[in-house]
Amino acid sequence: MTDTGVRIQLALLALAVVVALLAPVHRRALLSGLVVAGIGIAGVLTGWLALTGHAGRLTIPVALPFGPVTLSPAPLGGFFMLVIGAVGAVCAVYSVGYVHGPAASRTSWVALAVFLTAMQLVAASADVVAFLLAWELMALSSTVLVLTEHAHRATVRSATLWYAAMTQLSFFLVLLGFAVLSAEAGSTQFADLAASHVDSAASNLAFVALLLGFAAKAGIVPLHVWLPRAHPEAPSHVSALMSAAMVKLGVYGAVLVTTQLLVSASTWRSLLVLGVGTLSAVYGILQASVASDIKRLLAFSTTENIGLMFLAIGASSLLRPYGSTDVADTALVACLLLVMAHAAFKTTLFLGAGSILRATGERDLDLLGGLVSRMPVTSATFGIGALGAAALPLTAGFVAEWVLLQSLIHGGGTQNRILAITMPVAVGAVALTAGLALMTFVKAYGIAFLARPRSEGASQAQESPTSMRVGLVVAAASVLGLGLVPGLSVSVASRALGLGDAAAAGSGGIDLVGLGATLHPGPLLLLALVLVVPVVVVSVAAARRRPRRDVDLAWGSGGVRVSPRMQYTATSYAEPLSRIFDDSLRPERDVVVTHSSEARYLVERIQYRQRLSDVFESRLYLPVIGVIERVGAAAKNLQNGKINFYLAYSFVAFLVVLMVVTL
Amino acid sequence: MAFRDVIRLITSIGRIAEPAPPRPEVMADRPPELAGTVQIRHVDAGSCNGCEIEIANAFGPVYDLERYGARLVASPRHADVVLVTGVVTHNMREPLLRTVDATPRPRLVIAMGDCARNCGVFADAYGVAGAVRDVVDVDLEIPGCPPEPDAIVRAVRSVTGR
Repeated sequence: MTDTGVRIQLALLALAVVVALLAPVHRRALLSGLVVAGIGIAGVLTGWLALTGHAGRLTIPVALPFGPVTLSPAPLGGFFMLVIGAVGAVCAVYSVGYVHGPAASRTSWVALAVFLTAMQLVAASADVVAFLLAWELMALSSTVLVLTEHAHRATVRSATLWYAAMTQLSFFLVLLGFAVLSAEAGSTQFADLAASHVDSAASNLAFVALLLGFAAKAGIVPLHVWLPRAHPEAPSHVSALMSAAMVKLGVYGAVLVTTQLLVSASTWRSLLVLGVGTLSAVYGILQASVASDIKRLLAFSTTENIGLMFLAIGASSLLRPYGSTDVADTALVACLLLVMAHAAFKTTLFLGAGSILRATGERDLDLLGGLVSRMPVTSATFGIGALGAAALPLTAGFVAEWVLLQSLIHGGGTQNRILAITMPVAVGAVALTAGLALMTFVKAYGIAFLARPRSEGASQAQESPTSMRVGLVVAAASVLGLGLVPGLSVSVASRALGLGDAAAAGSGGIDLVGLGATLHPGPLLLLALVLVVPVVVVSVAAARRRPRRDVDLAWGSGGVRVSPRMQYTATSYAEPLSRIFDDSLRPERDVVVTHSSEARYLVERIQYRQRLSDVFESRLYLPVIGVIERVGAAAKNLQNGKINFYLAYSFVAFLVVLMVVTL
Repeated sequence: MAFRDVIRLITSIGRIAEPAPPRPEVMADRPPELAGTVQIRHVDAGSCNGCEIEIANAFGPVYDLERYGARLVASPRHADVVLVTGVVTHNMREPLLRTVDATPRPRLVIAMGDCARNCGVFADAYGVAGAVRDVVDVDLEIPGCPPEPDAIVRAVRSVTGR
């Protein structure tokens, strides 16, 4: 059955390419958008079939020395196909109204269709060759999409370079890992790899290479540097697709490796995964909390969420050897719940950011404001997405983090020293992350949508066209839906991991087996009503009793008239945080005081400048890039354009080859 | 002063507020929202401080204007009435305009004292921008140089209607 689904996707890809190339300009967006949405829906259906136990095998014979390419989605891959397909469909509908300029070109639409299909094929692959081919196709098509607006902004080019370098590094590491693994196991089929026992040295090498490769794609610290560059520069529907779908394939790879291909009881591997996850979660949200570019903020928040997923994977594999199978399974379920929740709210947030960008032309939070009355649908949906990202109750994010915390709390204990130390630390890290995420998204929503507009663009913003609103509303509804019926998502995640429906209780609730913890939407809803109803009743009654009295002017004391510059900004909101975490963020502050010419004691103006850079970039990447540049400059001496030198090179090379052969 | 001494002082002095005079007539076209109680923001637009002393007296224990539902507040955002004293000087013209603009509508402006009404002794002085009515719309005037607390109380009671 599932092979039919994959065939339909490939057929739709061909149709999408034809439509994108041949459709008339004024119909191109609508037709291409619908076909790409079709690819996404086909992915959802195929994924669902794979999850419900339908098998299917599509073998494509290719002229490669490794044998045919096999596409056969397993339940785990099917889960990721489902998530990616849903994100793709929503983004495609949204992009019908969103694309303009270079994003509406033939190239962009073809690249979008290829990108979405390639992501599905990665999840559908059943052997190493298919996986690597689809992985590279995904990397290339997404690079094309990031490059879309290169003619308008010079920063796009540098962002694309970073992205291309990191994504190819990721491919290289994954290739290395799989090559070592396949050579040891003597097969390229995932099933054979999982069944074979690889000796420890090769297994360790393969594990580290694969983990780094998948971490680079997922945006794990310190390989996250491409996220805050590529996401802001790409068109927003592409950012949404990359952040909500593509980076999840890094998580897919990590889950695949730790639970199927290279299952091992070694503690250091689990601790490595747990450690990078924790570091990414805390560092990501810390950077997000002080960012004032809205898409950069969302990109760092992606690093945070991916970090939590890796933390869950690490905790699961750390717990499993100690006999706590139930808790280990719960941690893995939490990882997949985080995948779903993050896909839902990050799609909403990036699409919302796209609407803001389209309406105001601004990405800088410090230049936004007052959009809640001008863009009601965008602000409501972005608000729901922000609630999800802050992991507040009734949203998908809350359910996922709740399950994660349950598994971490029940995983600790005194029977083992390592567990007794790591689990409380992990709980603390998750708690810190959740608190900072709340601050971050209060800032993102409050500064962007409330108060008065801080720029011309923000004051003339208009609501987005219908297709964009449809995409936003569907994405926001999924954030609430997954939070209100947590049993559904838990049962899907359990199926993906082959655990059956154990954790799902009746009436859409969760009942974590072996942990004694339950979560039902009923009490949650009741709690929400108890909190919300009095506030609504009192404020409506107060508004009825005394009608609102108009004020002509906001009061800024008699001395000055109030201007939008007097408001709270994203930078000032995050100022205490950047002060508290001064040591890890290392902001550069610059205060220039100009004194009045008449008296030194009178200040004419004060200029305050703050620049936040990425510690990993300045301490780790720039030195490496410097060395590479110096090596490159030295290599230029070899290639000096003189033909006699080149002839001498080939002669020397020839001699060396002869000598090696004769040895 | 010890607590007991304070109590003794209060009990020995007793209530010194004068008995309430008969209720004056409510001013013409008073906004119904302001019936019963008003919050007053006072603006000194260039006064000699004579009027301020009388305002302090009107709100003091003897005249006790607060018992008729009036209260002095610290921001025009909280106020219903702007009470302006003194001639409007050039420097206070703009702040006065801003204060009145920042008061929620419906609002009243009371010009208190002869200077506020018609520049009084400061008419034609070099720093004077004009009387209050030259700058903002005035709803009620309190004559006198300075007006007696009785007159202030009567004017404010004609707004609150108590």
